[in-house]
Amino acid sequence: MTDARPDPWTILVVRSGGFAGLTREWRVSSTDHPEIDWVRLVEACPWDAVSPPDQTRDQFVWRIEAQARVTRWRATLPDSRVRGAWRTLVDEVKAVSTRPTTDR
Amino acid sequence: MTHGIVPPYLLARIAELDDARFAVAAEAARRALRYDEPFRAARLSFSLDESDNLVVEVGDGPNRTIADAGHRETLPGTVVRSEGDEPTGDVAVDEAYDGLGATFALFSEVYQRNSIDDAGFPLDATVHYGAQYDNAFWNGSRMVFGDGDGEIFGRFTASLSVIGHEIAHGVTQFTAGLEYRGQSGALNESISDVFGALVEQYSLEQSVDQASWLIGEGLFTDEVEGTALRSLKAPGTAYDDDVLGKDPQPDNFADYVETPDDNGGVHINSGIPNRAFYLVAEALGGNAWEHAGQVWYDTLSLPLDPRATFVEFAAATLTAAGTRYGETSAEAAAVRAGWIGVGVEMSSDDGRAA
Repeated sequence: MTDARPDPWTILVVRSGGFAGLTREWRVSSTDHPEIDWVRLVEACPWDAVSPPDQTRDQFVWRIEAQARVTRWRATLPDSRVRGAWRTLVDEVKAVSTRPTTDR
Repeated sequence: MTHGIVPPYLLARIAELDDARFAVAAEAARRALRYDEPFRAARLSFSLDESDNLVVEVGDGPNRTIADAGHRETLPGTVVRSEGDEPTGDVAVDEAYDGLGATFALFSEVYQRNSIDDAGFPLDATVHYGAQYDNAFWNGSRMVFGDGDGEIFGRFTASLSVIGHEIAHGVTQFTAGLEYRGQSGALNESISDVFGALVEQYSLEQSVDQASWLIGEGLFTDEVEGTALRSLKAPGTAYDDDVLGKDPQPDNFADYVETPDDNGGVHINSGIPNRAFYLVAEALGGNAWEHAGQVWYDTLSLPLDPRATFVEFAAATLTAAGTRYGETSAEAAAVRAGWIGVGVEMSSDDGRAA
């Protein structure tokens, strides 16, 4: 018998850099928020797209990771590239995270 | 000698003066208007020679334009103040305008550099960027300032060191071109902190002993346990807060932080070269923008690898000090001691790092 339950996702969003150099993290597990279609949000993002280096300095840097049982996605983006599907995913994770944490 | 920035409309009025008492000033203004781009300000310096004749010198002037993003994340926004315009009454707009002028003054008057590219690069800034935006950045051609969230950060134009920091990113872009990752990225950040601090010190006429050596003083709200974002004098001590944690900057190369975030910790490891600069300035005393600042400024124009390491940059500063002040000068000795003081090894003979 196969397991018919949806693959649970853990999604981590880390914002670092900026002028202040402060790091903030938001984390969510899909099992805690099944009302949101996390698979659709994750798969809508262009994970393989490369961000060419530019001359912007002091902008935020975003590390976004999405992990399921056998699948793992990871991307590092400058703040200027967090638009469209990325922005939607990041905003959802931030919204449902119970509490942003600051570490390091 | 007194000097100041003369806006274009006033230059035009001075140029048209038909009064023998002001003939020197009128001719200087006419020269400035001929040499400069339309509507650019000029810096006029007034002094008396030994015969009590008025001497007027024409220097470069800034070309500032401040735009308002209206709390959207769209650049450039609506222009609200141009060079020579009166203050608007909007604190962020006027702080940005004045801060750009103060930064231009340091580079022009002390290092004889005409703006970011040494060719009159326009100083464009956008304020009120984004909603509760906790940041300020340089986008390759303009400075951008958020208003802060009001809970942790206030507006980013509140600190002159922040404005100087962002312009210095432009100067580095047009000189050393240090890559924004790892050690070269931390050096890039440190250079901006150094000149950000020097802009503030030059503006306030503070000596090494009088200066705060803080970056971003006054940005935190009263809710935060901290005085600033960074300290060049004592990296790692700028804040210690229940929510933000403790200032993570190391002050010695032995404690260099390896991290995948923040382009390899460029805002963290900058504490090491920041402290090195402070030690050099402290050893030389007086005004930091003079000899210590001159050495760092000269270093930017040396043939430097864009991926320079701390050791390579340290060697370049020693070369710069030796070239300008002599290899056995107090400046060269202070530079060597400064880097050794933060754990960066220096060779003992030819200025090349071990």
